[in-house]
Amino acid sequence: MSVRPASQVVSVAQRAQAILRELSRIVVGKDDTLKLALACMIARGHLLIEDIPGVGKSTLAQALASALGLRYARIQFTSDLLPADVLGVSIYDERASAFRFHAGPIFHSVVLADEINRAPPKTQSALLEAMEERQVSIDGETRRLPEPFFVIATQNPVEQIGAYPLPESQLDRFLMALELGYPDPAAERELLAGGDRRARIADLSPLADAATLAEWQREAAALHVAPALLDYVQALLAASRGHPGATPTMDAGARRGLSPRAGLMLLNAARAWALVGGRPMVLPEDVQAVFPAVAGHRLAGGARAGALSAVALLRAVPLP
Amino acid sequence: MTTVARGARRRATAAPPALTAAQTRWIGAMIVCAQLPQAPHLPWWIAGFGIALVGLRFVLLRRDRARPGAPARIPSWTLVLFAVAAALAVRASYGYLVGRDPSVAFLYILIAIKFLEARTVRDGSVLVALVSFLLVTPFFHGQSPVAALAALPALLVLGATLDALARPADSPFAAAPRAAILRTARLFVQGIPIAALMFVLFPRIAGPLWGVPFEAGATTGLSDSMAPGSISELSLSDAVAFRVDFDGAVPPPAQRYWRGPVLSRFDGRAWTMAPRTAPGTLARFGAGGLAYTVTLEPHGKPWLFALELPASLPDPSGGGEDEPPARGYAFVSSDQQLLARVPVTQVLRYRQLSMLRDAFPEAERGEGADFLRLPSRGNPRTMELGRDLRARGGSDAAVVAAALAWFRAEPFFYTLMPPLAERDPVDAFLFDTRRGFCEHFAGAFVVMMRAAGVPARVVTGYQGGEWNPRGGYLIVRQSDAHAWAEVLVDGTWRRVDPTATVAPSRIEMGLSYAMADTEPVPLFARLDSGWLKTSQLALDALNHAWRTHVVGFNRERQRKLWRDVGIDRFAGWQLAALAAALGVAWAGIALGLIGLRRATLDRERALWSQACTRLAQAGLPRQPHEGPIAYAARASRRWPQFAIAFSAIAESYATLRYGPPRTRPGERDALVATLARAIDVLPAAGDLRSAAS
Repeated sequence: MSVRPASQVVSVAQRAQAILRELSRIVVGKDDTLKLALACMIARGHLLIEDIPGVGKSTLAQALASALGLRYARIQFTSDLLPADVLGVSIYDERASAFRFHAGPIFHSVVLADEINRAPPKTQSALLEAMEERQVSIDGETRRLPEPFFVIATQNPVEQIGAYPLPESQLDRFLMALELGYPDPAAERELLAGGDRRARIADLSPLADAATLAEWQREAAALHVAPALLDYVQALLAASRGHPGATPTMDAGARRGLSPRAGLMLLNAARAWALVGGRPMVLPEDVQAVFPAVAGHRLAGGARAGALSAVALLRAVPLP
Repeated sequence: MTTVARGARRRATAAPPALTAAQTRWIGAMIVCAQLPQAPHLPWWIAGFGIALVGLRFVLLRRDRARPGAPARIPSWTLVLFAVAAALAVRASYGYLVGRDPSVAFLYILIAIKFLEARTVRDGSVLVALVSFLLVTPFFHGQSPVAALAALPALLVLGATLDALARPADSPFAAAPRAAILRTARLFVQGIPIAALMFVLFPRIAGPLWGVPFEAGATTGLSDSMAPGSISELSLSDAVAFRVDFDGAVPPPAQRYWRGPVLSRFDGRAWTMAPRTAPGTLARFGAGGLAYTVTLEPHGKPWLFALELPASLPDPSGGGEDEPPARGYAFVSSDQQLLARVPVTQVLRYRQLSMLRDAFPEAERGEGADFLRLPSRGNPRTMELGRDLRARGGSDAAVVAAALAWFRAEPFFYTLMPPLAERDPVDAFLFDTRRGFCEHFAGAFVVMMRAAGVPARVVTGYQGGEWNPRGGYLIVRQSDAHAWAEVLVDGTWRRVDPTATVAPSRIEMGLSYAMADTEPVPLFARLDSGWLKTSQLALDALNHAWRTHVVGFNRERQRKLWRDVGIDRFAGWQLAALAAALGVAWAGIALGLIGLRRATLDRERALWSQACTRLAQAGLPRQPHEGPIAYAARASRRWPQFAIAFSAIAESYATLRYGPPRTRPGERDALVATLARAIDVLPAAGDLRSAAS
């Protein structure tokens, strides 16, 4: 692992800060969520947002795509949505007398999968498979998805009738699960006073491009992780699995435990977070910052309860 | 035994910690490993029963796994029943219960029974202690290197079991089986220098600290009587009687008569020792004498062996040449036997001097009369022959020569499987069968001499021995057991070996050369070349070296070693202090090597905890889960005036601990220095407290 000079990391951080500043003018009062979303993107993960409609999920996705200069598509998931509607379809072209592939909305760099739990499992899994593989196989032909490729899926926790909630194994495909939540009064005031946010997105000038993002992703992956930090991550994983002695005060909700893959993802997210924060190494603080978002939906009890038990877990595990 | 202590403390507060399945498996493995070296010394059914009981627990464990929640329990009355049955069976098998071997057998079974009912970690600790004791018991039967090797697996598993007991499998610190064994092995290896130091420095006690219990009749060797067949039976054994290291040249085989019990009483069939033996005088050591060291295997009898004639008294407790031999241990009898005052029940090593002579003067004038007695009846033809020899010969010397000539002339046959005669065995041998082993020849010759009026007696012992070129020493086996005769002619006892007359090759070259191929000569006595012989000799050399340097490292050898390196000037307590100091030094080195590395690596941790302590004293303790940057931010909010120092401390510490490894020299030290300086900038805890707004 090559050691990156700190100055380079700082410049990444400065550009990331500039992007976040721009974004915060559109998605008001959600600085931490924005930063997590950006880190999630830099860690090559996908984002799940569980929240009620109207708190700015699609605004966030669209703004993120615009600020980074990425192509954006939105798929509104409905109960009759078919896999082909997401992935694309081959249609016979009479003039060329051959099948021509019409790429689906998934062939965009930022895809907002809105209300993913309303689509039938078949369609859900088509999307999730594409997320995992970063490629699509249609009619025996494998097509690579654009790079970077970032999916923001939203789930409506209230409207569960006639919905197909994502199974836990599918939840694992998302690096982070976030809640946007209501804005605080000051932010809400600004929101109400400021007029339509969507219109502002159009004014947003891109501050980066796909190549830059790919470069950041490489840098994040190369960030140094010290043995002491691995000790800490292992202690967290062990505590999540409910070892006695490790977490005497842990609540029973977190009994399911984090998988080794979850640990790996936690490290990736912490690396990206450190990069955005302008640090040439990963600190326990970075792990703690991303831990509720990364671990919450992997622990039992849903994202909200999981995030709460993740916070409890963090408090219970001392730094080694 | 920390586990026991911890178990006791826990019991006061909560239920004792139960054994996990993994711990139980470790204990079972440990018991079996300790049972196996002992098993060959036990009756087969006891050995099998003990292992089967351990196996039973494993079966129950399997059942537990199939049906979790309902652990299988053996009712305790069954265990009592087992124990009582085992005691009765051991009693029946050995004929007695209080004694070394039955006690060991009983312990062997009881440990397995205890394992069946072991439920708590405390039970596990008790079993570890019991198994430690069981591990010692195979050494009652021999302290060979093989026995030591056989104990090694059990020792390793025992260490791993202690590990497993201290760290249950569900703890995050539990080790995989391989790792536990490796850790134990590493601990043992680290302990070797200390063990070696204690071996050399711990004062040996003149007698055994706690003697290895010796079971009579457990070993083979020459006895105090000789009936027809007794020595030929002994000759069937490969077992080593003793080994000899010569200081100088080794005498030729024909002169290697190792004198043992002298038998002078005859009841018509068997020869026995005289009931009382007066002390005698040793031959004077002079030119042509031999000096050598005998390593005698325990045989449960008081005889000690030396080449004829012994010129010194064996003194295993006083080996040095420059020390006057202690008079206490052994004495020489009037018939030139070397006798210890107590039976030889342990491996014995002694220096011995001998003059190679086959004649010596009688102990007192006129003692010959005692060596003419014969039973009044029986063996009439031999009596007749004796009288005949006397009538023809005249002088005693002529009678002896005539008798030997008679042996030569008649068709005698040397065999390990002579026919046994019920009545008048000497007559039957001399005139009918003419087939016999050395005891027949020697016995019959002495009877002939006595019948002819020449004082004579039988001497038993060993003759010859095998030279081991590997170790440069002589191996004398039970198959070298021999009997010969001594006659008193003109006030001088002379050795006469009728076997040499009949089968000279027995004396010149050894038993296997004198015997036809069909005779049941032991394998190792028969072999004279080939890889089996070579490897057998190599193994024996190893055994001998072990005997000499490990088992035979007694007080005197220790003293000699101390003298050689010059530490004998010190008093006992000084030596103890020296040993303790060296032991501590070694432990210090072993720990220090690890600690040293950790110390240089972890200076930042020490500094960091110093800073944390100071802030905690000032009223702002770090949360256990709080990272350095977060803590510094919190501290900066409390004491904004020191924000720069806090962030310098936190960042230099975080960089040292979590940053990429510093490759450039001095970079790391510079960071540590920054950390230390930033901490110096902070005021003392009391000042911080008062500085808080």
